[in-house]
Amino acid sequence: MRTGLFIALLLVVSSAGSLMGQRGAGAGPPNPFLGNAQAVSEGETLYNQKCTTCHGSGGGGGEIGPAIVSGDRLDIGVSDAQTFNIIKNGVAGTPMTAQRLPDSDIWKIVTYIHALRGTAIENPLPGDVAHGEAVFWGKGQCGNCHMVSGRGGLTAPDLSNIAGTRKSSSIVDALTKQQHRVYSSGGAHLRTLPAMDSYLPVYVTTADGKTIDGVLLNEDSYALQMIGNDQQLHLFDKSKLRKVAIEPRSLMPTDYDKRLTPDEFKDLMAFLTRQGRVAGPASGRRGAPPEGER
Amino acid sequence: MSKKNALFVCVVLLVICVGSSAQVRTPDQMLINPDPKDWVTYGGTYSSHRYSPLKQVTTANAARLLARWVYHLDGMEELEPTPIVLNGVMYVSGFNRVDALDARTGNIIWKYQRQPPVATRQRGTAVYGDKVYLVTSDSHLVALDARTGGVRWDVKSEGGYTIAGGAPLVADGKIIVSGNRPNGFIQAFDAMTGKYAWTWSALPTPEDPAYATWGGATPAGAPIWVSGSFDPELNLIYYGTGQPNPQWTGSPRPGDNLYSDSIVAIDVKSGTLKWHFQNTPHDTHDWDSLETPVLVDATFRGQPRKLLLQANRNGFYYVLDRTSGEFLLGTPFVDQLDWATGLDKNGRPIVAPGHDPAVKGTKTCPSTMGATNWPPPTYSPDTRYLYVVVAEGCGVNVIMSSTVPDSGTGYYESPHAPWQAYVRAIDVLTGKRVWEYKAVRSNHYGPGLLSTAGGIVFAPEQFGQVSVLDAKTGQSLWHFNTGDVITAAPATYSVDGQQFFAIASGTNVFAFGLSDSR
Repeated sequence: MRTGLFIALLLVVSSAGSLMGQRGAGAGPPNPFLGNAQAVSEGETLYNQKCTTCHGSGGGGGEIGPAIVSGDRLDIGVSDAQTFNIIKNGVAGTPMTAQRLPDSDIWKIVTYIHALRGTAIENPLPGDVAHGEAVFWGKGQCGNCHMVSGRGGLTAPDLSNIAGTRKSSSIVDALTKQQHRVYSSGGAHLRTLPAMDSYLPVYVTTADGKTIDGVLLNEDSYALQMIGNDQQLHLFDKSKLRKVAIEPRSLMPTDYDKRLTPDEFKDLMAFLTRQGRVAGPASGRRGAPPEGER
Repeated sequence: MSKKNALFVCVVLLVICVGSSAQVRTPDQMLINPDPKDWVTYGGTYSSHRYSPLKQVTTANAARLLARWVYHLDGMEELEPTPIVLNGVMYVSGFNRVDALDARTGNIIWKYQRQPPVATRQRGTAVYGDKVYLVTSDSHLVALDARTGGVRWDVKSEGGYTIAGGAPLVADGKIIVSGNRPNGFIQAFDAMTGKYAWTWSALPTPEDPAYATWGGATPAGAPIWVSGSFDPELNLIYYGTGQPNPQWTGSPRPGDNLYSDSIVAIDVKSGTLKWHFQNTPHDTHDWDSLETPVLVDATFRGQPRKLLLQANRNGFYYVLDRTSGEFLLGTPFVDQLDWATGLDKNGRPIVAPGHDPAVKGTKTCPSTMGATNWPPPTYSPDTRYLYVVVAEGCGVNVIMSSTVPDSGTGYYESPHAPWQAYVRAIDVLTGKRVWEYKAVRSNHYGPGLLSTAGGIVFAPEQFGQVSVLDAKTGQSLWHFNTGDVITAAPATYSVDGQQFFAIASGTNVFAFGLSDSR
C-alpha cells in the first residue's frame, strides 16, 4: 500500500505507525547531555550492551531491527525526545520493546545516537588538521576542482561548509566508495525541485558549433545550467543546442584511501570534518518578521 | 441567406438545442454523456479516458499557451486532486476541504473547511446534480451544496471502515467510496440522501472458495485507494485492489491471496463481485493494481469487444474483456522487467525465481514504486493510443528479519538501475510502444495525463514542467515551469468559449489557455 512507500528505508518499520506519526514533531524535553563527550562515551557502552543485537553496531541495522543511523548524509527526522520516547516506551506491534533503564541512561544512549547522526562539525575526526590542509591543496589535488573559503576550483561542490551539512562517515564514504552518492531514500517523494549535486561531466555543442565542456548544475526537459571548464556559468535552452552529452559518472575519484598514505588520509579527514559551521537553532515561526523588523 | 449565415443559424440552433436538452437531463445523464465543456468526474468520463473533445488548443497553436491564473491552497503540503469543473465552477479538494473557484479567473467562490485542517494529499471530489462530495479524514462522506458549500448531509462510513483519499465516484445514483482499513473495501451510499447501500470487502469470507488462496492465513490487506471506472450499460464499476498483508513477506500467506492486486468488476446495484482478474498473485513487492482501468470499445482480433485496459504497476500492460474479465493480451510496457518471464494464456505471470525481498536486499525490476502508479493515463480515440507515465528502473527490497514476519521492510532505488520517468504512447490493441518522451529529472511516478481532440497530450512532469506533446509523435510543443513538484492529474474545460487546462503543482492550481487576443 502506498503509505508504506514514502518512508525512507531507515524509518520503515511497517507496523510502526506511532513512530511515523512522531516524525518531524520536535517537541519534548531537551537532551540534558547534548554536547557532553563523556555522555557520548557512556552512551556508546550502553548502546553496545542493549541495542547492537537488533540495530547493529553504530546503528547501521541488524538481523532484527532496522538501521537507526543512515549511511548517507540524509538523516532520519527523529528528534532526541522522540528517540528517548521510543527507547523508554517501545514501538507497539514491533520487536522494539520498552527498555527498563534509568532515564539518565536512556538519555546517554540518545546522546550517543545523536552523535552518530550528527554532522561532521559536531563530531570531527581526529588527526593533524594542518597537515590535512596541505594534503588537500597538494598531493590530494582536491583544490583543482573544489573550493574552500574562496580558494580552489568551481567544477565540484564548494566544501566551505561540508562538515556542517554532512556526517563524518558520509565524507569518508565520498572519498572511498563509488556508489555512496546514488542512493535515494526508497520511494520518497520529491518535496522541492533541487539542483543536481552530482556535478556530472557535460559536453555541449551550441547551434553555431561551439563546444563547451564542464559540469552539470541542473537540468530539466528544456533547460540546462552548467559550469564550464572555463570556470564560467553557462545557461542554455536545450532546443537551441546542437548536442548535449552527459556522462553518468562523477569525476570524483573514490580511491583516496589508496592514493594517500593512511596518515595523509586520516589528516585530510581531520581537515575536511572541520570545514563548516555548527547549525544555529531554527528561526522563528513561519510568517513572523525577523528580529528587529517588527 | 448566404451559406455562411445558414451555417451560423445552424450553429446557433445546435447550441440552443444542446443547451436546452442539457437543462432537462437527469444528473445521471449529465455524468454518462457530459457536456464537452465540463470535466465532471475524476477520470473525465466514466470510461476514464481523460480525453476531451475540446479542440480550441491544437498542435498548431499550443505554442501560444499562457498561464491564465494561479490559485494557492493555503495550509496544504501537496496537492494530488484532479479538478472537477461544471458550468464554469472548479472544485479543488483536499481532505476536509473543498475550494470552489471561478474557473475563468481562479477567484474563490466559496471554501468548505471541516475541522481539523489536514495538509496531506487527497485525490479529488465528485459532483452529482447540485451536490459536491467530499471524503474526510475521519471517514465521513459529506455532500455540499455546489452553489454555496453548505452541508446538505454528512454520513460516517458504515461498519468502522476507514475511507481513503481516492476521489468518490457517482454511479447509478450511488456515491462510491473506498479505503484501506481494516482491509480493502468499496462502499456505496445513495447519492441524493446519503443512505448506506452496500459494502464489498476485497477479502474473501471463509464461505468464499477464494479464502483457500491464503493457505490457512487470515486474509489481510488489499487496500483500495484510487477511484475506479464505470460502464453504465453493464452497470459495473471497475476498481483495482492493493497488495496482500504482510506486505513484503510471502511465507506466512502461501497461495494467490485473492482478491489482492486484482482488477474487480462490482455490480453497482447489489455490490457483488461480477468477476476478478488478479495481475500479481502472491505479491511480495507491493504492486497494487490501483492503476486506473480504462474502458474502450473496439474490435479486437476481429470481434467487437468491450475492453478494459490497464498499465499495471508490475510492468505489464493488460487488455481484458470487461464483460467477463477474460484475459486477451498482456505485454511489458517497460524495458526493465525481470520478476517474470512473461504471462501465460490466462494472463498469470510466469514468475522468475529469486526476487523475494531479503535481509541483504533483492534487486527487482520494476521497483516497488512501480512501472507506473496511481497517476492516471489517458486514451485518445483519435490515435487509439494509451498514454502512460512510466518509470523505468529497478529497486532493492529489504526485509529487516528473515524470521519475524513483517518486522520491518523497505526499498530503495537500485544504484545500478536508477529511475527515470517517461510518457509512453502504447498502441492499445497490440501493446506496442509507439513513442516515448523523456521527462528529464523526473524519476518517480508523478502527474497524470489528458489528451484532446486538438491532437495533443497535456503532460505535466514530476519535476515541475508542464508540457504539451503532439499525440501522434510525442514531440514537445510547449512547456511552462510551475516551480514545484507535480503529482496531480490535469483537467481541461471551456468557459465562455475559452479552453483551459488546469493542474495542481505543489500547493497551487495553475490554469493555462490561449491569450484572449488570439
